[in-house]
Amino acid sequence: MDANTILKVENLSVALEGETIINNISFDVKKNDALAIIGPNGAGKTVLFRALLGLVPYKGIIEWMPNIRIGYVPQKFSFHRESPLTTKEFFLLQNKNFWLPVNQDIEHLNHELELVGLSSDILARPIAELSGGQLQRALIAWAMLNHPDALLFDEPTAGIDVGGEETIYNLIHKLQNERNITVLLISHDLNIIYKYANQVLCINKDMKCNGAPIDVLKPEELSKLYGEGAFYHHHGK
Amino acid sequence: MENNMEMLNQIIIIAASVGLASGAIGTFIVLEHMALAGDALAHVALPGIALALAYNTDPFLGVLASLLIAAYLVWFVRIRTKLPSEALIGVLFTASLAVGILTIPDTEIVESLFGEFPALPSWKFVFIITSALALTAILFFKTKQFVFLNTSRELAKAYGIRERTELLLLVIFAVIVSLGIKLVGTLLMGALTIIPALIARNIARSIKSYLLFSAFLGSAISVAGVLLANQYNFLPGPTIVLLGVFCFLLSLVFIRK
Repeated sequence: MDANTILKVENLSVALEGETIINNISFDVKKNDALAIIGPNGAGKTVLFRALLGLVPYKGIIEWMPNIRIGYVPQKFSFHRESPLTTKEFFLLQNKNFWLPVNQDIEHLNHELELVGLSSDILARPIAELSGGQLQRALIAWAMLNHPDALLFDEPTAGIDVGGEETIYNLIHKLQNERNITVLLISHDLNIIYKYANQVLCINKDMKCNGAPIDVLKPEELSKLYGEGAFYHHHGK
Repeated sequence: MENNMEMLNQIIIIAASVGLASGAIGTFIVLEHMALAGDALAHVALPGIALALAYNTDPFLGVLASLLIAAYLVWFVRIRTKLPSEALIGVLFTASLAVGILTIPDTEIVESLFGEFPALPSWKFVFIITSALALTAILFFKTKQFVFLNTSRELAKAYGIRERTELLLLVIFAVIVSLGIKLVGTLLMGALTIIPALIARNIARSIKSYLLFSAFLGSAISVAGVLLANQYNFLPGPTIVLLGVFCFLLSLVFIRK
């Protein structure tokens, strides 16, 4: 693994309860890449993330850069409404001093919130009561809190209105440029991928394509991935 | 008379410390939706008492052993199987109660179910107090891990919190229940862990205050219950639990969220 590579995946297979979810996938991610992972529903995208995070057993090789810090924004996130957890306490879950955090950490937290466009007065509010947009931003700030080298986003747009969607991607892009982080994101939106990703991995259990968006997001590749008649078929009869 | 006074003081200190620990563990039991499991777990103490009596050993050991086994079972069912855990826990609960009623001698059954004013040798007194305080300290120390898992299992695992942490929670619960069973009884000990947490949830605006309120309330309600029971010659267990329920109703009436 050369110094410029942040993640190397070789012959990765995941089977859950006897069913093969991912079959023999290999790819590399270089530092500061933005890798988009696309594929139809049930293609194993989220399972791939979970394997990369070590949450599910797998076969093959997953090799991260040594001492890497990974931030993770999961797809579905709902807080138990019966938990009185405040937004501040949610952030303190990552702090060594949960009960008595030092001032410096609180200042850092305020700074990170500012960066994602949230005001610090949400800290006192129960996290279960944040709006969808606020929660998405809070989760990004949460994932960014310990300055990760790589960020894993599972469908950052899910559940956010279109107006907000654009800004979430601008935000990710900004973070990527300012902090030199590597981004792996699962997305359905080809426009977003053209705009923000420099590498695309198409999976549907097996690997279907891997390369720059301009090279791999062609009608024939996409129909291989999603089946005939999916995207970009505007020929009519 | 002086002897009685000394005994009452001893019991008040036990109530204060075991109540504190019960209030603290209750917050997590309620957050984890394990109130019913916890309640059922406490009843498993009955066969433990019966076994200990049959073999002429200290009932506390029987209680502790049976609760630890049950704690592991509940955890195993929750994590490792797809069986509906609340149904299995229902079976566990009724089976324990049935075994207990059949095997515990009539002279012991009321105390086993509803608690009594215990007369304890001093080593045991010290043991109960230190264990209760130590377990409370562990709960506060591990709060972050418990809350993390409760908030998002997925995120917690991604950030290195192990699922075994939940087993620790159940084990601590089992030991706290064992400590309190002599005073409060097997049928009511579960309630002592749940009620303070429910009242605290009505008041608290954060996890930290929730835990602190609950521990404090567990302690205060237990002590007040013991004093009331002593005054009017009631059994301590039901008095503590009813006082707790009364406080819970008050919290419903007076606190608007």
